[in-house]
Amino acid sequence: MQSMHTHRAWALGVALTVGVVGCNNDSLTNLNHNPNSPVSVPPGPMFTQATQLTAARFIGNGFDLRETEFVAQHWAEAQYPQEDQYIRLDPGSTQPTWVNAYVTELEDFAKISAAGVAAKQPGVYAPAQTLQSWAFEYLTDTWGDIPYSQALKGDSAGAPLTPAFDPQKSIYASLMATLAKDATDLESAAASNDLGSADPVYGGDPGQWAKFANSLHARLALRLVNVDPATADAELKAAFTGPGGVFTSNADAAKLVWPGDGIYNNPMTDNFATRDDHRVSQTLANILIANHDPRTPILMQPRDSIPPGDTLGNYAGMPNGLTASAAATYLQTASRPGAYLYPGATTYGTFGSAANKAYPSYFMTYAEVAFIEAEAAERGLGGLNPSQAAGFYNAGVTASMQQFGVTDQAAISAYLAQPGIAYQGGVAGLKQIAVQKWIALVNDGDQAWAEWRRTCQPSTIAPGPAAIVNYVPRRFYYPTTEYSLNATNLAAAVARQGPDNFATRIYWDSKPTAAPTCTSNPPVPPAADRMQ
Amino acid sequence: MQLLRWIRRGAYIALVGAAPALYAQGVGATISGHVRAEGGAPLPSVSVSIPSLGVGAYTDTTGAYRFVVPAARASGQASIMARRVGYLPKSVAVSLSPSGSITQDFTLAPAATQLTGVVVTALGIQRSKSQLGTAVQQVSSEELNATHDLNVVNQLAGKVSGVNITGSGTQGGSTKITIRGANSITGNNDPLFVVDGTPVSNFDRGGNPNGGMLGSSNTDFGSAINDINPDDIASISVLKGPNAAALYGSRAANGVILITTKRGQASAGKIATQINSSMTWETPAILPKFQNQYGQGSAGQFQFVDGSGGGVQDFNDQSFGPKLDGRTMGCTYTGKVAVGQPTPYNQSAPCTQFTSPVDANGNLLPTPWIAHPNNISSFFQTGRTFNNNLAFTGGNDRANARISVGSENTTGIIPNNTMQKFTGNLAGTLNVSSRLSTTANVQYIRDAAHNRPGVGYNTGIMEGLYVWFGRQVDMNALKDYNVHQNQTFACNDQFNWNCNYHNNPYWIQYQNPEADARDRIIASGSATWKVTNWLDALVRTGTDYFRTNINQDYATGNLNYTDLAYNGAFFNYNNRSNENNTDLILTAHEQAKPWLQLNGTFGGTTDFQSFNYNSASSDAIVAAGIYNPSNSAKSPAVYDSLARRRVNSVYGSGSFTVANVWTLEVTGRNDWSSTLPKGNNSYFYPSVNTSIVLSDLVPGLKNGIVNYAKLRGALAQVGSDAPVYLLSPISYVGNANRFGSLPQYTVGNVRGNPNLAPEQTHSAEAGLELGLLNSRITVDASYYNKATTNEIVNVSLAPETGFSAASLNAGKMTNKGVEALVSVIPVRTQNFQWTSTFNYTANRNKLVSLYPGLTNYVLGSTWTVNTEARVGQPYGAIFATPFKRDSATGELLVHNGLPQNDAGHRRVLGNINPKWVGGWNNEVRWKNLTASALIDIHRGGNVYSVTNMFGDYAGVLASSLKGREVDWNNPGVVVHGIDDKTHQANTTAVTSEDYFQALFENGEAFLYDDSYVKLRELRVGLDLPSSLAGAFHATNVNVAFVGRNLWTHTKVPNIDPEFTYGTGNYQGAEFAALPTTRSLGLNVRITP
Repeated sequence: MQSMHTHRAWALGVALTVGVVGCNNDSLTNLNHNPNSPVSVPPGPMFTQATQLTAARFIGNGFDLRETEFVAQHWAEAQYPQEDQYIRLDPGSTQPTWVNAYVTELEDFAKISAAGVAAKQPGVYAPAQTLQSWAFEYLTDTWGDIPYSQALKGDSAGAPLTPAFDPQKSIYASLMATLAKDATDLESAAASNDLGSADPVYGGDPGQWAKFANSLHARLALRLVNVDPATADAELKAAFTGPGGVFTSNADAAKLVWPGDGIYNNPMTDNFATRDDHRVSQTLANILIANHDPRTPILMQPRDSIPPGDTLGNYAGMPNGLTASAAATYLQTASRPGAYLYPGATTYGTFGSAANKAYPSYFMTYAEVAFIEAEAAERGLGGLNPSQAAGFYNAGVTASMQQFGVTDQAAISAYLAQPGIAYQGGVAGLKQIAVQKWIALVNDGDQAWAEWRRTCQPSTIAPGPAAIVNYVPRRFYYPTTEYSLNATNLAAAVARQGPDNFATRIYWDSKPTAAPTCTSNPPVPPAADRMQ
Repeated sequence: MQLLRWIRRGAYIALVGAAPALYAQGVGATISGHVRAEGGAPLPSVSVSIPSLGVGAYTDTTGAYRFVVPAARASGQASIMARRVGYLPKSVAVSLSPSGSITQDFTLAPAATQLTGVVVTALGIQRSKSQLGTAVQQVSSEELNATHDLNVVNQLAGKVSGVNITGSGTQGGSTKITIRGANSITGNNDPLFVVDGTPVSNFDRGGNPNGGMLGSSNTDFGSAINDINPDDIASISVLKGPNAAALYGSRAANGVILITTKRGQASAGKIATQINSSMTWETPAILPKFQNQYGQGSAGQFQFVDGSGGGVQDFNDQSFGPKLDGRTMGCTYTGKVAVGQPTPYNQSAPCTQFTSPVDANGNLLPTPWIAHPNNISSFFQTGRTFNNNLAFTGGNDRANARISVGSENTTGIIPNNTMQKFTGNLAGTLNVSSRLSTTANVQYIRDAAHNRPGVGYNTGIMEGLYVWFGRQVDMNALKDYNVHQNQTFACNDQFNWNCNYHNNPYWIQYQNPEADARDRIIASGSATWKVTNWLDALVRTGTDYFRTNINQDYATGNLNYTDLAYNGAFFNYNNRSNENNTDLILTAHEQAKPWLQLNGTFGGTTDFQSFNYNSASSDAIVAAGIYNPSNSAKSPAVYDSLARRRVNSVYGSGSFTVANVWTLEVTGRNDWSSTLPKGNNSYFYPSVNTSIVLSDLVPGLKNGIVNYAKLRGALAQVGSDAPVYLLSPISYVGNANRFGSLPQYTVGNVRGNPNLAPEQTHSAEAGLELGLLNSRITVDASYYNKATTNEIVNVSLAPETGFSAASLNAGKMTNKGVEALVSVIPVRTQNFQWTSTFNYTANRNKLVSLYPGLTNYVLGSTWTVNTEARVGQPYGAIFATPFKRDSATGELLVHNGLPQNDAGHRRVLGNINPKWVGGWNNEVRWKNLTASALIDIHRGGNVYSVTNMFGDYAGVLASSLKGREVDWNNPGVVVHGIDDKTHQANTTAVTSEDYFQALFENGEAFLYDDSYVKLRELRVGLDLPSSLAGAFHATNVNVAFVGRNLWTHTKVPNIDPEFTYGTGNYQGAEFAALPTTRSLGLNVRITP
């Protein structure tokens, strides 16, 4: 009896062991196949998302509307003015732009590009590389040296998990080479419309992408003019004569038209639907008003109230960088940014129209290209000569007016005929081009800020009284993540470029006196950096 | 009474009468008798058995037991043993004869603070504590239920050493519990909860100090262990570390909370009825202290026109407006303001408010500018909780059952917030034959709530009340929240003080319906086959299945989450969670020699978990009041996700006990997990533990002082698998929202790893258990040292790699600590006893390493203040922005009179871990009156308070009066520091408004020492005289006054230092949390 029980016990034990060990089969492993996410997708849907994220990131709400537009002083902050005081331009606050750009759209463009190259489809890889280059330019213009050549390889076997920072000079060279090749490939016989409707910018049209690549190439080339005029000259020429040419009208502009369906709205109109922090900077307002600019009632709204004794009229700006209590006093007495940026009914009353939710975000405008051509012509660069400058200048002003919605051609002509606006040539002409370009770059704070750093125009840009440094930042602080996640390479970049603070000048900004538009108005050397 | 009798009869027929009479009555020796406690009270549920023959029975409610030894085995000497959880076991030697009957009574002594009693250990096995080499603390039903709380974990607070509980005491909110510190950097650090052998979920959908947009963490829905009805719990065993819990596998690295529910009892055919009812009233324990000298506005101005910018500062939600001096005219100014000069108020302009009456022309009339000091506190109401539990139990020696129903109805402290919990529990045992017994247990739970308040930033009520609420606003006027007939201002379908940022709080509670419900079944069935006298085979299967549904709806005009062009918004969420666990366990026990006891266990388990959720939301609906995706004005956002995993295991343990003095046990377990790659998915982990009862080994140790001494020690290793779906290097994430008409995809941000290996926790512990002065003083103390290595971490990558994280085996975290439970009975007489119990826990955690080159991992962040795992620091370092300081003197560096954030030098400013936590319970029993008080102590640790940061920023807190003692325009803040231009002491005075707003995002100014002392529980109970109890057909009727969270001492201003939003790893940052409630009430227990 006892032994039978013992046999039963052993049999049970063996059965149990065999039963459980036998469970380690393929079905156990297969249970871990992710039912929610695929391991490969076609490039089209990735291109769509990466493109709209790129626009939202750099010419949308956060980096642009709440950071660089205050630095560039198109707008000022009437409530919670920490950004306008440069306080909330601290590394923690500006970090999301860097982090999210790399891990989302830049990585997506890399994957699209790789898929396009593997399939030998310029219509796939060249648009991806062009927009990726566009975004890289914003990053390097904001921070200087950034990881570039070793970046976006985190999933490749053996690739460094801490990419080195590339000098800005070589990043610019590489970006321009990429754009030149993209334009060539897009205009080659192999190019076809491969993205189609998945491309929300040009519907996949290779010819349009070639123009964008050449135009962006020209922007990059001119940015180098103070620090390396010979390269600027050669690259401008390459850009202007690249296959397909540059933009020649507003119809060519690289822009993203938002669906405006309430899910994907213009990010700025989304901001203004719920927040009332922005007013027009007096830096912009004074220039517009003094010159009777037809864009004034478009870029500004009539202010809520005019204090007794105030003779400024319906439109007025406010100073940048005030204390919170001082800034708040301008809420009623300074103009809000243009109604075209406001969606329909908002909590503050009715400003714009529902259609404004679809207002396009401009990656690059024809007006900017015309001003690049005007400056190149005035300086005799890129194969152009000074006699062509006035024409490009007038074309740029006209294009900007029309792009913002000025339809009265006579008003544009009258504006252009005014003393001080009519093109003067020489250094005065270069200043006029710079100021007009800065106006045309409203809604693109990073480019306006970069152009101010390069040209010192408008000369009225200066830090506000409550700013925490007594100069306008030349760059942003590297993100906190870099200190913890890529410290060694960061240290090498800082050693090469200069201390990680607002005062350090990045490569193309490192010859402050080379710009003719600065020499008559030399920049104040920054005081000891108090942020450190 | 007639009804009750009918119910009892019906229940008896249902539970017992129908049980088939399968038990074959053996012929042999009948053993019977009674078991009583010291003092003579009958003891039910005592196991009386002859271990060497494998026969026995449990006592019924009268303490009687009876079993038969089959004639074939009824000969010779045997020992009868009586054991019951919480009592000292007792053995008596008897001589058996095939036909002789034996009557044997027992009197059991309670085990002195669990030094030597019987406790429930891993796999539900009951063992004598003297034989355990690991730390186990048991909490009885009575200790647990001294007072009532909505969450069973809250009822553990302060009672168990080695355990850290935070956030207990909110109505329906989450509670965070860790045992012996956090082991995992990014994984789960919750203990494993096991109910009657089945692992159950403590899933939470918690809130977040950052709140969130539609559908994210803006509400604390509580943690799922809330579902367990405390009245159904017989005992809770806390297995404190990997050592005690090694047999439970991966998830036991964080300890195990083993819940044993009440079972039926043999009752000689009678049904016993047990009733436990309580009614408690709750009020907020702590609310911020507000200032009442300045009203809404900025720079001393305010004029209400439309609440959204039409008047001067009337959109503004700060309280830096004009002085609340009762003025009716002159709240805005005419000319330029000069610092220190009288404000040029326009005395011809009326001070208008949202409550202003309107004249015939529709103009708002002046209204006295006065404070409403109680406007926040008056929003809260006295909450009520009714808790009723009714249980029937009965049976005979063949079958028994217990059925209980419980209900808990809570009226919130916030208007229109209610919570309901219904539990039903049926437990039955059927002894099919002398060799086969079966049990089944089914719990059904419905846990539902309406209109829970949002927490954190950007969510409504709590934030609105705590930091953005004009000090002149008349809360009473807001009760009538619908648009008023003569209302001159459009305010999004509300009558409200602000139309720009905040909804009327009453409007939120009554117009934005929120409903959530969880339906849950926890069920298990088991069969035990007595294979031989020394071997039992148990097969058990159990499931924990629940569905949660959350509907958050937002009415037309709601300011947040909604597109105001449409008629409201909704977020619908459903999840379905299922865990199935099936065990086959062989248990052997042999009294090999009178001095040698052998025990062995060998088993296998397969555990399957699946979790599926889906949600649909839209910020725009067409027809008002229909919160259905089909009514969405825009494409609704939809999500769906499924996670599944399986772990197969075999495990075994063997132990011997020599002369009841020395016990040695070894265990081993091997797991195969679906979440690890083939080849790496099998992992084995062993443990060994031993205990020596020194006082028995060396009789000389026993003297007038020491009567019991035991040493124990254990070494253990526990492996752990990975989260699901980390093995593919790249995955692509789709986006259900089309861009216009275009589909969208992106590369996932986490780089997977096909080579993941299991992580390992190594643990060592040593313990000492002492009984002194005839166990009037007992000590149970442990030292432990744990290290988790090879952690599976989604290591943060430099973002320029294109990925934010990579799944890697990396990192090491250690915990060392001391825990002690000391119990003292200073006075014990026939009628009077005072018992004082103190438990103490001090854990030291350290993140030793992360991935090479990596220093930190961010667990969560609010306003640039991070809670991090940082190398060299305890887990939960608070990494934040300090003040900028003068390098020479260390004084604040002041710019234009204002302190500066040193954003470029963020550093570790604090840590969330307490230095120690403790609980001190005193119980005084005098005749039939018992009073007990539990004090809960947390010492050390830091908290970052966003409520204080924004409360000062907005000028609503009393502390924000600093600098405007005279008037807003007489700047009164002269920051103590060095001027950054002159390098002399700062002399520039700034206004209160500029000063406090300069502290925005400062990590130093609002970081506090999180120490606190709380009077957690108070109970004064009276056992009615037995003559009165008899009138209820009961042996005992206890009536008690109960209170929870009655008193708090802390240095943290304005908030309760104890809070949490969920059970996740991100802790330590507070903002607009649910207020802890102070509760008072009555409890009645009727025990049959």
